[in-house]
Amino acid sequence: MVDYIVLGIFSLIIIGMAAYGYKVSAKTAEDYMMAGRTIGVVVMFFFVLFAISSSWTFYGFPGVLYLHGPGYVFFIWGSVAGFAALYMFLGPRLWALSKLNRFLSPVEVLAERYESKALRVLLSFTMLAFIIPYVGIQPLGVGRGFEALTGMPLWVGAAYTSVLLIILVILGGMRIVAWVNIFLGMVYVTALLGSLFWVVSRVFPDGGLVQAAQTLVEIDASKLSAPGPMGEYNNVLLIGVFIVGLMAFSWPHVVIGAMTARDKTLFKWFPLLIFIFGGLFFYIIPFIWGSLVAPAALPGITSVAEADSVVQTVIQIYLPRWFAVFVLMGVIAAAVSTAAVQLMTSSILVARDVVQGVFKPDATDKQITTIARWSVVGIVVFSLGVTVAVQVGLGEGAMALYLTDVSVPGFAQWAPALVGGLLWKRGTKQGALAGTGAGVLYLILGLLITGADGSRPLLFNLHPVVPTLPINLIVYIVVSKLTPRPPDHIEDVFFNEVDDFLRSDRAKQ
Amino acid sequence: MREMAGHTAGRIFLAVLALSVIAMLVVVGMGYMETPEGTDPVLFFGWITAPLAIGVVFVLVWLIAYLAYFFKYWPYR
Repeated sequence: MVDYIVLGIFSLIIIGMAAYGYKVSAKTAEDYMMAGRTIGVVVMFFFVLFAISSSWTFYGFPGVLYLHGPGYVFFIWGSVAGFAALYMFLGPRLWALSKLNRFLSPVEVLAERYESKALRVLLSFTMLAFIIPYVGIQPLGVGRGFEALTGMPLWVGAAYTSVLLIILVILGGMRIVAWVNIFLGMVYVTALLGSLFWVVSRVFPDGGLVQAAQTLVEIDASKLSAPGPMGEYNNVLLIGVFIVGLMAFSWPHVVIGAMTARDKTLFKWFPLLIFIFGGLFFYIIPFIWGSLVAPAALPGITSVAEADSVVQTVIQIYLPRWFAVFVLMGVIAAAVSTAAVQLMTSSILVARDVVQGVFKPDATDKQITTIARWSVVGIVVFSLGVTVAVQVGLGEGAMALYLTDVSVPGFAQWAPALVGGLLWKRGTKQGALAGTGAGVLYLILGLLITGADGSRPLLFNLHPVVPTLPINLIVYIVVSKLTPRPPDHIEDVFFNEVDDFLRSDRAKQ
Repeated sequence: MREMAGHTAGRIFLAVLALSVIAMLVVVGMGYMETPEGTDPVLFFGWITAPLAIGVVFVLVWLIAYLAYFFKYWPYR
């Protein structure tokens, strides 16, 4: 009973914040979608860090480390560099462009940069196809947590999360999604770090992490180094996951955050928080959990599903039940914070880029805000379909693969057009269309055409991002070089004016 | 990034970051992360594994380069 009361209070806090956000919002599209471009550095940090730190950091990441040793952490090192690169290299220009020209989505920025409605359609549908099923992963993560702790069916937790998400995004918009991430992030960090300290002090009282490491050396020393006990994370795969991590700068729900900044000083300070709080603190917590504490405290797990839940299992075994409920609240916080930003991004793509950009160019501010709000419901229902498919046994493995093998390579396919559009004056509409089209087509065919043994001959059995991204990039550069350079007014708006603005004090609040 | 490539300090900053990425790939590619069979894994301070240690060094290199460049030379500061 206490469980439900705690979770009820937790929900009421989120709903209360969403209602407050609705009350204080300016009821404009810019306010709903871009938080009125008022996000400062601290809020932005929590907003972005917990937009990317989903329930995966509690289940999937420690689970892989538990089974395969510490090699998978190279994905994190790549990601830290990727996120920092976004805010150091692309963020200032993207923000300045959207502020000066009132752009409301990164796809809109590129459509105007390349003067192409076709590119807007291609990028919108590509991003939506890869991000929406990813939203469904989050309610599923919570559903599993509910199931493990309370014995309730998976759909209860998934439905609980979905309702919270709908209320938060429809009422609150981008500003409150960002603000709520501070609350959710604190809950999650407290749960993850608190449980780590408590378990270590209880299970390894005579030496802490050193004792845990020594215990693991005696049980299975191969779990303390690459390639791990199964030999999976060899040199090639370590390099692969590092490169995939570097592509984090292209995740659309992270890119859009840069457009909500208050002023240019954010981009000066933000990387400091990424490196210190993100790279040297936050991501090391689940790393220690999955690679050291869990395998030493609870050895012998071999199945993927059990490994994914190993942190929660250890907590339930060694810590009081009330703390396990608090940790579940942290998992819900991680899931909601990520899914809310993904939902906001998806609804903006639907309302601003698909509906207003293609079908109804004369839509008013109020109309596209309404469309964005209601599209949230449709997106959640669709993503819940993914969860239900898992519930009735239509392929749990397929969904896990969707995240790692489809979503991340899919996000990467707009990277050449994005980077080229912001930094390379010579990049052309034809190059962006041809490069993105070739990359997406190659990715889809590469994933669909499989051998009898499940191999992917078109992708040379590599991670999908490895062969598809270079093709995309080469086609973009070659076609851009072969086609006429963009007109002068594009260079003025997207390069000269932006550079002048960023060098001036006008870009400071 | 265009503003960084336009002056010497920015080019040095970009070169440091690029070299750190290349160094990371070389260290991993040369097999320094792998423990030969029959030997104990490398543990710094008794618990820090090699993949964690090299990652921390990598982040520290980026952090120091960023602090030096963004607070003293970045044209948009």
